[in-house]
Amino acid sequence: MELLLQTLLNGLLLSGVYALVATGLALSLGVVGIVNFAHGEFLMMGAFLSYLLFAFRGLDPLLSLGLAFLAAFLVGGLTYQGLIRPVLKAPELNQMLLTFGLAILLQNLALLLFGADTRVVAPPYQATTLALGPFFLGAVPLGAFLLSLATLLLLQVFLSRSRLGLAMRAVAQNRQAPGLLGIEAERVYLLAFGLAAALAGVAGVMLSVMLYASPTVGFAFTLKSFAIVALAGLGNLKGVVPAAFVLALAEALVSTYLPGGGGLVEAVFFLVLFLALVGRAWREA
Amino acid sequence: MRGFGHLTLILLCLLFFALLPYLPLGIWRDFLLDVGFFVLLFTALALSWDLVARTGQLSLAHGAFFGLGAYGAGLLAPQVGTLPALFLGALGAGAGALVLGWITLRLHGLYFAMASLAFSEVLRTIALKLPFTGGPIGLPVPPPFGGSWPLAAYYLSFSVLFLATALSLWAERSPFRLAQAATRQSEAVARVLGVQVVRVKLWSLLLGSLVAGLAGGVYGMKTLFLSPYDAFSLGRAVEALVIPIFGGLYTTLGPLMGGVVLVSLEHALRLWIKEGYLVVYGAILILVILFLPRGLVGILGRRRG
Repeated sequence: MELLLQTLLNGLLLSGVYALVATGLALSLGVVGIVNFAHGEFLMMGAFLSYLLFAFRGLDPLLSLGLAFLAAFLVGGLTYQGLIRPVLKAPELNQMLLTFGLAILLQNLALLLFGADTRVVAPPYQATTLALGPFFLGAVPLGAFLLSLATLLLLQVFLSRSRLGLAMRAVAQNRQAPGLLGIEAERVYLLAFGLAAALAGVAGVMLSVMLYASPTVGFAFTLKSFAIVALAGLGNLKGVVPAAFVLALAEALVSTYLPGGGGLVEAVFFLVLFLALVGRAWREA
Repeated sequence: MRGFGHLTLILLCLLFFALLPYLPLGIWRDFLLDVGFFVLLFTALALSWDLVARTGQLSLAHGAFFGLGAYGAGLLAPQVGTLPALFLGALGAGAGALVLGWITLRLHGLYFAMASLAFSEVLRTIALKLPFTGGPIGLPVPPPFGGSWPLAAYYLSFSVLFLATALSLWAERSPFRLAQAATRQSEAVARVLGVQVVRVKLWSLLLGSLVAGLAGGVYGMKTLFLSPYDAFSLGRAVEALVIPIFGGLYTTLGPLMGGVVLVSLEHALRLWIKEGYLVVYGAILILVILFLPRGLVGILGRRRG
């Protein structure tokens, strides 16, 4: 029983970061309408930024969070201006292939620059655990979970209270009407894409402490985010959090209870995704 | 009639590869024949991907079909001989495609791409865990025909490309082309026009997977060794889709030209800059989409909508 509860707890803590990354993906998908296979690479950049700042400047990852947010926002904005805007009206296949190319480019550039080793950011509090009755909570996963939730709440407030946030939701719902009302869709796209990248960048910093920074960590998260978004349903931002929880939980349960579960964790993720998609296909048919 | 020029170029290209081993290549012969082998094989894989893309479906499962064919042929070759093993391996890939297609071809765009990717990842994990595949250690594969003929792998690869080209040309010149194009451009309209959309997509996926499976089988017989990370890798699917984009989508000549240029380039880059060649690959993909959306064939100036 205690093992089960501990497993559930681990899954819950993991789901925060997943939800953060997937929300970014859902933003670029729902608002800009672009399938971004390079989403996880923004996360990878955030993780390496955190690692570099820590290794060469001794900067605490907590402080890197803000920097990563800004840097990823900037990179996301530049990516939008330079690469995404020219193909906004192109066929979906071309858009997907463009972002795919970007993902391959960034991933292998990182591989050239940093090598394939995994790099961990280890601040003094990294191994701290809190005892909660019979359960153990890592300080870092707990912190990452709370920070993720706080970020998502802030985003929710931004989307429902501010003019820009409302404009973003309006554009997500209808491509033309907001233009007639004087909302500049191009600016909203730029903001949404930057914000999506920034969310991934922040998650990358958390990941550099929780897990590690490596050139390939981003793509795995792209795939997981797609799984979460597909499970939540396109354009459904609120559904992302429960979907992230379901997938993180499935992962935690498998790695605890199945013998040799370590190698199966990824397969579980994709199996859940596959079943969700198949369910969708047959519901629609 | 469109494409007389295309057909000539295609035939010249095939003729060149058929005669390549008999050209005076000097000391570079072995290296060039190796490169030629991979050019032929991955061009065939690219054609098989394009066959599916013509219905508007972005398949990321071609790595899985490739792997199914490779493992099927690799496991069966010691018992049944080279050609039957290749044939059965391709059938295995086809069976995988039918399963995948039957449950997912109602999905569009991103959803199908994700489902096919998930399919591929799950299959790779299974290949890692099954008792008879050798798991992460890998599977040794015997050379074709007991290794009695050194050019066997090369000509097997050539045959796969020949088959892929013939299939692609058939699909390009028969009424099937119209069904595929209608499905790609608008499923709803295609349906109204009486095209059986799901059936067209399923056939395309099946034909594509058979060729991809054959290519996988021949690949194993050349490398003599398979591992799930290699045979089922997403990299295969990526290569299969980069080549048609680069050469020109929805044509036969496009993937053929793209394959010859890109795979040769890849081997040259591997010699010069070792691991970094994928950076160049990614950059090419981006630049081609931005500046050359019709691929190399677009430069030739012949193109239908």
